Amino acid sequence: MTNIYIPKLTKVVDIVAENEVNDIKTLELEFQREEDIMEYIPGQFAEISLIGKGECPIGIASSPTEGNNIKFTIKKMGTVTSGFHNLGIGDTVGVRGPCGNSWPLEEMKGMNIVVIGGGFAFSTLRSLLLYVLDEKHRKDYGDITVIYGNRNPGEVLYNDLLEEWEKRDDVNIVLTIDQEAEGWDREVGFVAAIVKKVAPKPDNAMAVICGPPIMIRTAVAELVELGWKDEQILNSLEMRMKCGVGKCGRCNIGNKYVCVDGPVFSLAELKEMPNEY
Amino acid sequence: MALQILEKKDVVKLYKEVSGEYEFWAPMYEKGNLVFKEIENPEDIVLDYLNPKIPPKNVLFPEEEVIFEYEYEGKDVKIKEREDLEDKRIIFGARPCDTSAMAIMAFFFGFGKFEDEIYLKKKENTIIISIGCNSPQTTCFCTSVGGHPFNKKDADIFLADLGEKYLVEGITDKGKDLLAKLSWLGKATAADEKKAKELSKQAEESMTLKFDMDKIVNILDENFQHPIWQDIAENCIGCGTCAFMCPTCTCFDVIDEHDQYKNRGRRIRIWDTCQFRLYTLETSGHNPRPEKIQRCRNRIMHKFSYYPKNYDGLIGCVGCGRCVRLCPANNDLRMILDNITEIPEGA
Repeated sequence: MTNIYIPKLTKVVDIVAENEVNDIKTLELEFQREEDIMEYIPGQFAEISLIGKGECPIGIASSPTEGNNIKFTIKKMGTVTSGFHNLGIGDTVGVRGPCGNSWPLEEMKGMNIVVIGGGFAFSTLRSLLLYVLDEKHRKDYGDITVIYGNRNPGEVLYNDLLEEWEKRDDVNIVLTIDQEAEGWDREVGFVAAIVKKVAPKPDNAMAVICGPPIMIRTAVAELVELGWKDEQILNSLEMRMKCGVGKCGRCNIGNKYVCVDGPVFSLAELKEMPNEY
Repeated sequence: MALQILEKKDVVKLYKEVSGEYEFWAPMYEKGNLVFKEIENPEDIVLDYLNPKIPPKNVLFPEEEVIFEYEYEGKDVKIKEREDLEDKRIIFGARPCDTSAMAIMAFFFGFGKFEDEIYLKKKENTIIISIGCNSPQTTCFCTSVGGHPFNKKDADIFLADLGEKYLVEGITDKGKDLLAKLSWLGKATAADEKKAKELSKQAEESMTLKFDMDKIVNILDENFQHPIWQDIAENCIGCGTCAFMCPTCTCFDVIDEHDQYKNRGRRIRIWDTCQFRLYTLETSGHNPRPEKIQRCRNRIMHKFSYYPKNYDGLIGCVGCGRCVRLCPANNDLRMILDNITEIPEGA
């Protein structure tokens, strides 16, 4: 037995400011000891700590295909996340994990994948996309469509990656912003409207959705309209958590703990659970 | 193993003999309340009590507890893990309900892929000497949740209170091993054993409360939306006393206590409760259980629906009645369970 609450220590090796208003940063962390290097699957999260300030659950933004370092995209919100924003290269960050289930990569093999994301909730979708678009895995999956919406062009995360993916012919990237803006030549409109326009086919496909609740609700409604079944629509939930390992209690929805039974649930599963999320 | 006798006056002797090797926790008065404390003076041990207001859950799961300590050296951090988890201890005088509660907590903390080493190691190194209840209180209902005032199941050593002396029975190996070292314990007679049986029967018969747990579990499963939750919530003041004083409530918060002058500190866990709005409040401002009705429902559901669903029928309540006795708003779990039983099944 080991103490499950002890974080593995990492060092910040890279910091990327992700948006124009500079309240979202991606930290790249390197494990200090080789034996601590974490194996994870896209869709999982980790409890990351700024030791002395606290710990919080954050989705893993990197993909295991990127190497041994691990990345987290963090929005400046409270005490701990603000602390992360003040870090510099070489500072220490504690990491516990990986926590939770993941995107069902095995189950999705041979299927078309539709990724629908809104705002900064795109981090574990980044992980998923890097994984399925990796040369080792690309052949395992069918058509890949990405619909990614933001309020304005300055909020779009991972611009370098998106540019790279747009050049590829084996992935369809659709970017949208809420209202027209100067210099923006992509889609304009809410994510749900773009889902309707793109009209992804439900046959042998899985939709993966992350974003603000209103976007999820409206986008899901469009998918259902297009003939998608509840079992084909996957969502990753957020809840307040402390332990990340099913002990501290607070992330339960009915008898499920989001930290160990989730965070990924299908719409069919969510319909069986009380509406407390 | 033949049953033995411990004279009550010899509890002091017991303490003196074992306290070198074991921490000795027993009920004593502190600020006017009976609580389980680590005993320093054996004269403080209280033997004449029904059940302490605060359950002995704090012995293995204290109100606040260090997870680890740390020290910064420049940008580096050194983490110091706890070294006291193997310390041996005895809990003397836990009632059977509270003893079972510690077994439930150990089950919960050991469940699933992740095991809570802090709790489990401490539990493993603890000998629980449980004392049967000769006089269950009117708020007690252990027999409705799989317990009994003389339940020996989760104890390491079980005592029956025969007045001036205890009838002593070793239950687990570690309990029997401890007793084997106490050569001075007396031999029990057939009359002692007979008296203990009578006391057990009397205690059981004095307990008039009886709930049909199978029925309650089924009804709860179908009644997440029911006006009964509104009735319960209207009375509740959300103080969390029921949860804090509950011997099976395990929820905790985690915070860092940092000494900015010495650049070191500790990460601790502290009791928390689903009765608080802050418990589920997210940084974004979103709260999955913003209303009291949701929080009251969660507590009852957790113990009597989610627990049996997740853990093969196990009920997350031992019937100690503390939440009934201590609720400042006079909410009464007995009445709540009664009212739930009256909801028609399958309706």
